Amino acid sequence: MRNVILLTIDALRKDVIGCYGNENELTPFIDSLQSQCIRFTKGQASGPYTQASFPGILTSSYYLEYGKPKGLSPHRTLVSEPLKQAGIITAAFHSNPYICDFLGWNRGWDFFYDSMEEEVSPRMPYMKGTVINAKVTEWLSSYGAAGDGNPFFLWLHYMDIHEPYVPERKYVDMVDSSIAISQDEMYSLFENTLLKRDVADPEKVTLLKKLYDMHVREVDTYVQDFFNTLERLGILKDSVVIMTSDHGDEFNEHGGLSHDDKMYSELIDMPLIIYGGDRSGICDTLVSNVDIPPTIVHLFGLDPVKKFEGHSLLPLDGYPEKGCFGEAIDQRGQRGGDIEKDSYFYREKDLKIICHAGVDRWELYDLNQDPDEVNNIINTSPAAEKLRSKLKPRMRRWLS
Amino acid sequence: MTGQEKERKCAELVGKSKEVIRETFRKFNPLDTAITWTGGKDSTTNLWIIRQVCMEDNIDLPKVMTIDEGDAFPEITDFLIKMSKKWNIDLEWLCNFDVLRNAMSHLGNTVKVKDLNKRNQAELERIGSKEDSFTFEAESQQGNHLMKTVMFNQFVEDNSIKAMFMALRRDEQATRKHDEYFTKKEGGYLMPEHTRISTILHFTERDIWNTTKSYNIPYCSLYEIGYRSLGARTTSNPGEVGVPAWEQDIEHVPERAGRRQDKEKAMERMRQLGYM
Repeated sequence: MRNVILLTIDALRKDVIGCYGNENELTPFIDSLQSQCIRFTKGQASGPYTQASFPGILTSSYYLEYGKPKGLSPHRTLVSEPLKQAGIITAAFHSNPYICDFLGWNRGWDFFYDSMEEEVSPRMPYMKGTVINAKVTEWLSSYGAAGDGNPFFLWLHYMDIHEPYVPERKYVDMVDSSIAISQDEMYSLFENTLLKRDVADPEKVTLLKKLYDMHVREVDTYVQDFFNTLERLGILKDSVVIMTSDHGDEFNEHGGLSHDDKMYSELIDMPLIIYGGDRSGICDTLVSNVDIPPTIVHLFGLDPVKKFEGHSLLPLDGYPEKGCFGEAIDQRGQRGGDIEKDSYFYREKDLKIICHAGVDRWELYDLNQDPDEVNNIINTSPAAEKLRSKLKPRMRRWLS
Repeated sequence: MTGQEKERKCAELVGKSKEVIRETFRKFNPLDTAITWTGGKDSTTNLWIIRQVCMEDNIDLPKVMTIDEGDAFPEITDFLIKMSKKWNIDLEWLCNFDVLRNAMSHLGNTVKVKDLNKRNQAELERIGSKEDSFTFEAESQQGNHLMKTVMFNQFVEDNSIKAMFMALRRDEQATRKHDEYFTKKEGGYLMPEHTRISTILHFTERDIWNTTKSYNIPYCSLYEIGYRSLGARTTSNPGEVGVPAWEQDIEHVPERAGRRQDKEKAMERMRQLGYM
């Protein structure tokens, strides 16, 4: 039986990746793997920021299932739990405070590193990909590579693309050496423009996107280092690697910056790549990140977990055609989020309906005709009523 | 709890540890085992219990080792020397002298990786450290690995140790909640295979102090002036200054004194990432 590795990258947009059509060569290593991968072109995150999306990625459930979230509900099943129960070694390495030990995300892991004991600096408020890789390597050398025949499930998560965008000089040079601003200036751009969601100056927005791209280039090197380690330890050939992101990032596509509670493609479209499976190629089926835990369970040959709301992506032929949901609440108005300002989306084929439940405002986009999601056709589309009726039962489920 | 109840509880805790130790000596030749000792309260209690078993069962005390990470409290060093004499222990002092020499024994100095010996270079490569140099700090990533992990592994390897007695406690951090008394560490590149024995796993911080007091187990003087947890000198801070560790609010204030609580830490990180 093969090991399963889930590699998640925070805030990675799908459209910055070469194999998804970007021509700026930001991800040469990820692109080089494509002949051995299944690449999903229509992966959907179940939420536009970490707290909203990770319930999908790791528990195959939706963010607002139990009302206003405070840490991980005991009603959810982390994918690590059934695996550990089945005797599979489970290990997690990340540096995102929203999925830390304190909030309950450490259940079911034999080893859980969330970096919360470490000191960090404002310019880099997380542990770098190099540190995550070092921890993973140390763990792999002791447990994973032990060769006692037991497969393992490893999850690692890189934070480096996440704001404040303050890339090191070498990554600046790799992407655009003409950018000459200092790290102080980068950080002040974060404080004065990004934090204020100030999009008035297009030059600043362009510069922020450039800095973001530099971090994308940086993370590609970490992915490469990680794959090299797997190869060196003789683990790669026995492993399936699922690569994805929790959400994207906005650069004024819809009047904002960073990742708030919007449901547009720049935040919701996620890269999803499965390396080392039995097949390779491109899959254009609409899939959701809630499908990831069932896929992991399937790869270990275990029975499906009843509580999981997604469906295994493998085998591809058995995947049912279905729509994708997502949900979020406004995070900027009040601490912990405002449950009264909740938004939902439902996508079926190329149609996406969005509802802001608190104000009963609806949007509908035809992603084929209008990939930028700027022409709201809720009042003209004949499909509007049908989609509305599919999204409505998903809204405010905690009240019933 | 009355004094009598307390003593009975301590006897139970120590009894459980003694069982683990005796089981270890059934599974492994005592000559192939060794004991880690930092001079802190946990490892001193641990050593004391193992020593009791050895005296009761007429077994030679296994090798005892301590690692000098280049940033030790002088009070700890004095304590180790004093207790080694008193308990007649031939303590093995381990130190990564190669790193220390290149840092000129001074915290904050830069160590160039190319000046290190082959083993240290290979170890840095193993943990994925790519920098040409690093700052010598005992608890930095490279420093911690070279000064502690590498010395530990080398000791295990050089002495063909099969089982190491450690002084971990389950209540120390959430990640240890599910730890077991016997943990086999598989061998790997630069990693010798061995089993770790966590003799005092079931003790809480309060249990350690109750046992220490109840059996008159010696402890380092730093605990009297407020330290609760002793690591490297530059990264350990006292909890309540001037209040002995055992008189502090152990049940409510985290042991890693001077460190923020988990929640505050998480909130601070969220704020730095641009939220709230």
